[in-house]
Amino acid sequence: MIFTILKKELIDTLRDRRTLMMMLVIPILVFPIILNLFFTVSESFQKEAATKALKIGIVGTEELFIARELKAIPESVGSKTIIYFKDTLELQKMIKSDSIDLGIYQGVELDQMLKNYKPAPLSVYYNATKMGMQERAEVYLKVIDTKVKNIRYKELNIDPEQIEPLRVEYKNVASNKEMIGKLAGGVLPYIFIAFGFIGCMYPAIDLFTGEKERGTIETLLTTPVPRWQILFGKMGVVVLSGLTAASCALLGLFLSIEVMDVVKNEEILNIIHSILSPGFILMLYALLIPLTVFFAGMMIPIAVHAKTFKEAQSIITPLNIVMVLPAMVGFFPGIELNAMTASIPVVNVVLATKELIAGTLDLGLLAVSFVVMFALALLSVFVSYKRFDKETNVVL
Amino acid sequence: MIQVKDLVKEFELTRQQQKELNTTEKIARAVDNVSFDCQPGRVFSLLGPNGAGKTTTMRMLSTIFKPTSGSIQIAGIDAVSDAQEARKKIGFLTGSTGLYARLTPDELINYFATLYGVPADVREERKEHLYNLLGMHDFRGKRIGKLSTGMKQKVSICRTMIHDPEVVVFDEPTSGLDVITAENIIQLIRDCKDQGKTVIFSSHIMSEVDLLCDDMAIIHKGKLLFSGTMDDFRSNMQADNLTAEFIRIVQQNQNT
Repeated sequence: MIFTILKKELIDTLRDRRTLMMMLVIPILVFPIILNLFFTVSESFQKEAATKALKIGIVGTEELFIARELKAIPESVGSKTIIYFKDTLELQKMIKSDSIDLGIYQGVELDQMLKNYKPAPLSVYYNATKMGMQERAEVYLKVIDTKVKNIRYKELNIDPEQIEPLRVEYKNVASNKEMIGKLAGGVLPYIFIAFGFIGCMYPAIDLFTGEKERGTIETLLTTPVPRWQILFGKMGVVVLSGLTAASCALLGLFLSIEVMDVVKNEEILNIIHSILSPGFILMLYALLIPLTVFFAGMMIPIAVHAKTFKEAQSIITPLNIVMVLPAMVGFFPGIELNAMTASIPVVNVVLATKELIAGTLDLGLLAVSFVVMFALALLSVFVSYKRFDKETNVVL
Repeated sequence: MIQVKDLVKEFELTRQQQKELNTTEKIARAVDNVSFDCQPGRVFSLLGPNGAGKTTTMRMLSTIFKPTSGSIQIAGIDAVSDAQEARKKIGFLTGSTGLYARLTPDELINYFATLYGVPADVREERKEHLYNLLGMHDFRGKRIGKLSTGMKQKVSICRTMIHDPEVVVFDEPTSGLDVITAENIIQLIRDCKDQGKTVIFSSHIMSEVDLLCDDMAIIHKGKLLFSGTMDDFRSNMQADNLTAEFIRIVQQNQNT
């Protein structure tokens, strides 16, 4: 009878527009929309910042060293207009009001210090809220710095190699796959957890509180089907909805990468393809299925106890924060899967997935994580059963 | 047949419920030592004002609630210890019964027939008979949410009868229905009686009871105030009419 109930509840759920939106439409669309927007906007900002004709303010006259050198920099490095100011106060004011992009103040001793082969003081004013300004200043000053250095080498008769004591070459032993796994691998389980939770939420409320509110539960309970079978049938739909929502979110992410070409770097694309192997997906689901059962098992007792849809929603929504916050652990590069973190629910799934992506997963720790999640899922099912079996909870 | 003996149902009160009921008692006795028998081919009515314990009794008969003490026999089966077996014999319909709005009548009837273990060929045969009887063919494929109250009531009746129950429990079945729609229910009760089924229905409307029932019990504050045949009730009446007599009996026991 579990299958009969599951089938009916699935049909019922799939005909509910609200659940469909939360389970299929939003998870599939959210990443293509967010990623596309993010990349398009940031790309256009970067482009604008790199090609924009800068208004550079200089305190002093065009006779100054810095003014002369700036003027000498070719337009190909970046287009610019130089405006002269009497003091730094006025200059800072103009930068704050966005009338000037960069300001440069050359210390009074600059010429003398350059002559004496000393480091000359130079202050650069910029507004950090405007993207790319500091980088543009660094490009201009690097050109001037290199030019002055080369003059000094010549005048002092120095071979540049002689004053370079170390020529350091950093060699990364971690593979790119490992780096992506450890640094960005937390995103994948986070998405799954966040959408898995949302996907479970509406069916859990609809199939338990909703049935109570609509007055259909009484007739269902008078059928000769044991309550545990009714619970399992309904719970199956809640778990399936959670898994579907999470899978749709991943599908959306995959579509963004594959169809919308959000990731341009060929090497990173190859790594992503190698990560998404059938074996990886199987192992990921092995961890995520007990997690989704746990989510369903957490929500069902609440949904069974609540008298109205609104009441259930008002309790389960804050629970979302409690459940999804630990998933953010995956965003911190330093935290790794060990005996302790493997025993913390949700955190263990996130960290194990990260290690799985990086290809550095310890099978023993994976087993611990799986056992912890499985035990917790069982416990939550038991609590759900106890609640659902309590007669005052299922009838208004 | 239904045999109810010394039936008691107690509920633990939450603090909020204690506040609402203005009591310090931790336990509320909704049904207090109720006993009665309902015979096959006869209609038994459980009459009582709002909050008398009718719905709690009906929920115990239909095995949704487990009695605190006492026994219930449904068609010879102990409904307390073997609730699952007893459910196969019961058809349950309430006035507040909801239906799955996103399913069609066909889907809903098939679903419940499967839950009751009705074989597919028998199900189709009964469905055809009930659809003809109730005139349901026109809307069998429409979503229930889009049906009128009368149509929904017909679907409810069909759902109640699809497994051909020996015992039919109606909890205030006509509450909230207009006279035309209520007529479907009244006809169903008569049909069940003619087919030799055991019928029990709860109501607070004396005229409905007068119209249908052979045996009757009056319940108030969980206690049985009268149990006997309708003829006994009529012959021992002290008031002018049935409603007045019902009110008199209830008021007489108001403060006891």
